[in-house]
Amino acid sequence: MQDAPIISIIDDDESMRCAMKSLVTSLGLDAYTFASAEAFLQSPHLEHTSCVITDLQMPGLNGVELQKSLLAQGRRIPIIFVTAFPEERLRARAIEAGALGFLSKPFESETLIKLIDKAIETGRKT
Amino acid sequence: MAEPATTGALNEQQVLLSTLPPSRGQQRLALATILVLLAAFCATVPFATVPVGYIREFIPAYAAAMFVISSITSALLFVQFSVVHSRALLAVSGGYLFSTLITVPWALTFPDLFGATDMAGTTWGVLSRIWHLVFPLSVIGYTLLKDDEARTAWPRALSYFAVLLSAAGLLVAFDLVTGLGTTTSEPMPRGSPFSMLDRAQADWNALLFLLALFALALLWSRRRSVLDLWLMVVMCGLLIELCLITLVGLRYVVGWYAARVYFLVSSMLVLAVLLSETALLYARLARSVMAQRQEREARLITMDVLSASIAHEMNQPLASIVTNADAASRWMARPTPDLDEVKATLEQIRNSAYRARDLIGSIRAMVKRDDRNRAALDLNDLVREVLALTERELQRNRVSVEVELEEHLPLVNADRVQLQQVLVNLITNAIDAMAEKKWPRILRIKSAVQEPDGVLTSVADTGKGIDPKIVDRIFNPLFTTKSNGMGMGLAICRSIIEGHDGRLQVSAGAEGGSVFQFVLPATIAR
Repeated sequence: MQDAPIISIIDDDESMRCAMKSLVTSLGLDAYTFASAEAFLQSPHLEHTSCVITDLQMPGLNGVELQKSLLAQGRRIPIIFVTAFPEERLRARAIEAGALGFLSKPFESETLIKLIDKAIETGRKT
Repeated sequence: MAEPATTGALNEQQVLLSTLPPSRGQQRLALATILVLLAAFCATVPFATVPVGYIREFIPAYAAAMFVISSITSALLFVQFSVVHSRALLAVSGGYLFSTLITVPWALTFPDLFGATDMAGTTWGVLSRIWHLVFPLSVIGYTLLKDDEARTAWPRALSYFAVLLSAAGLLVAFDLVTGLGTTTSEPMPRGSPFSMLDRAQADWNALLFLLALFALALLWSRRRSVLDLWLMVVMCGLLIELCLITLVGLRYVVGWYAARVYFLVSSMLVLAVLLSETALLYARLARSVMAQRQEREARLITMDVLSASIAHEMNQPLASIVTNADAASRWMARPTPDLDEVKATLEQIRNSAYRARDLIGSIRAMVKRDDRNRAALDLNDLVREVLALTERELQRNRVSVEVELEEHLPLVNADRVQLQQVLVNLITNAIDAMAEKKWPRILRIKSAVQEPDGVLTSVADTGKGIDPKIVDRIFNPLFTTKSNGMGMGLAICRSIIEGHDGRLQVSAGAEGGSVFQFVLPATIAR
C-alpha cells in the first residue's frame, strides 16, 4: 500500500476524525489522524502526506498557523480546511495563503472527495 | 425567591437613612460633635451668668433659622415616610413639623421683641416648654415604633393622606396651645432678669430634661441607623440647652444665648449630615443602576456568543453524522461490502447523535430554573453521596481523597440532583487536572459554615492549576481546555449555583492546583 496516497486528517474532535478517516479509506486511500497540528508536525507521516484535511479552530496551533508553519518549512502540501464556525476573515486568509478548499461543517462528502482528488492530481503532476 | 445577588445592586436597607447602618466615620463624627458640644458647654458654664444685654435681632434670626432647618428636616423625613410607610418616621417627621410651626408664635410672643406688653412673656415660656415636650416625645415615639413594626403596605394615596392629616392635626393642636398660652398668660415683668424662673418653671425644666435624657437613652439602646445616630446628637444638643437654661435661670446672659446657639448648631449639623447622606445615597444608587445595566448588557453579549457557540458545537456532531453516513454507503457500495467498517461507522453515527442530545440537554439544564425540586439538604450527605458515585473513577486514576466536613452544618434549600451535578463536575475536573501529573494526586473536599449565613463547599486538587491568563474565562459557556470537552461543565455549574443564590469561585491552591468553592445561603439552622 506504499503507493496509495496518504491523507493526513487533523481535528481535535474525535468523532469527526474517525468519520473523515472512514470516508477517506473507503476511497482506497491511506489516512492518518491527529488530534492536534503539533502532533502532525512531529509525525513521520508528514514526509509522505499528499493532502492535509485540517480543522480550523483547535487548541494550540490552529489550521492557519499550521499552514504557515508548513510553508515556512518549504512544504507545499495541499490543504483542505474544514470548520464548524466559518469566519470570513480566516477563510480569506487561508485561501490567500494557497488553501485548496475551505468547507463548513457539516459539508457534502462529494465536495471533499473532489477536493482530495484534485490534491492528488496536483501531487502527481509535480 | 430573591433574584441572584448581583454585585452592583443595593437593597432597600442600603438606601434609606432610617435603615442604613452608620459607617465608622459617621459614628466618629457624631461622637466628635457631641464632645465639642460638651466642651463648649463646660467652657460656657463659668461665664454663663455674665450679662450680654438684649440683642433685638437674636430671637427673630434664631427662630428663622430654626424654622428653615426644621422644615427641611421634616420634609426630608416625610419623603422617607412616603417611601417606606413607617409609623416611626411619621412620628419623628411630625415632631419636626411641630418644631417648624411653633417657631412662628414662639418668636412673635417673645416679650421684648415688639415691645408688645400685651403679648405676655408667659406665653413664650409655655410655648418653649411645649416644644421641649413634644419634640422629645416624637423622638421617643419614633424609637419605640421603629423596631417592631411590621411594614404595612399602605397605598400611596393613604400615605399622602397620613402626611396631610398629621400636619392638620398638628396645626389644630398648635392653635389650641397658642390660644391657651395667650389667654392664660400673665404679664411678665420686662427686663427683670431674675423673674424668668420660678419654682414651678424649674420643676418643669427638670421634667423636660429627664424626658430628653430618656429619649437619648432609648435611642442609644436601640441605635441602628444613620438617623438614630444623628437624632442622638440632636438630643444631646437639646439636653445641653435645657441644662444651660436651668443652670443660669437668667435671660440675656452668655448661657442663655449659648444654649440656643448650641442647639441650633446641633440641629444644623444633623440636617447637613442627612442632606449629604441623601446626596451620597443618590450617587450610590445611580452607580448601582449603571452597574446593573452593564451587567445586563454583558449577559446579552454572553448570550450572543453562546448562541454562536451552540451553533458551532451542534455542527460538530452533525458533520460527523453526515460524513459517517456517506462513508458507510461507500463501504456498502464496494464490490465486496466491508460490513465491519459499516458497523463501525453506524456506531459512530449513534454516538454523535447522543452527543447532540446531551448538548441540547445541557443547554436546557443551563437555561432552566426549576424551584419545584428544592428541599432542605445537608451538604455533607451530598458530598458523601457524590464521593460514592465517583469512587471508581477516583480509584482508577489513583487519586487519594481527603474529606474534612464540618459537623452540624446548617441545611440549604437546594435541588439535590443539580448540586450533585455540580459536585460530580468539579470532582471530574479535578481528576482530569491531576491526570497529567504523576504525584501527588490528592482530592480535598471540605465543608464549613461561612459567616454570616452561608455554607461553603470546596473541592481542591493538586493538579497543574489554572493558567491565570484564562482564569477569567473558565466559567464562560463553551470555553474548554480539554480536547474532548464541550466547555459547558463549569458554565452549567455556575448557573446552577447562582440559581441557588450562591457563588462559585476558583482560586489557586496553597500547594499548587486549584480550589473551586461554592457558598450557598443557609436556610435552616440546626
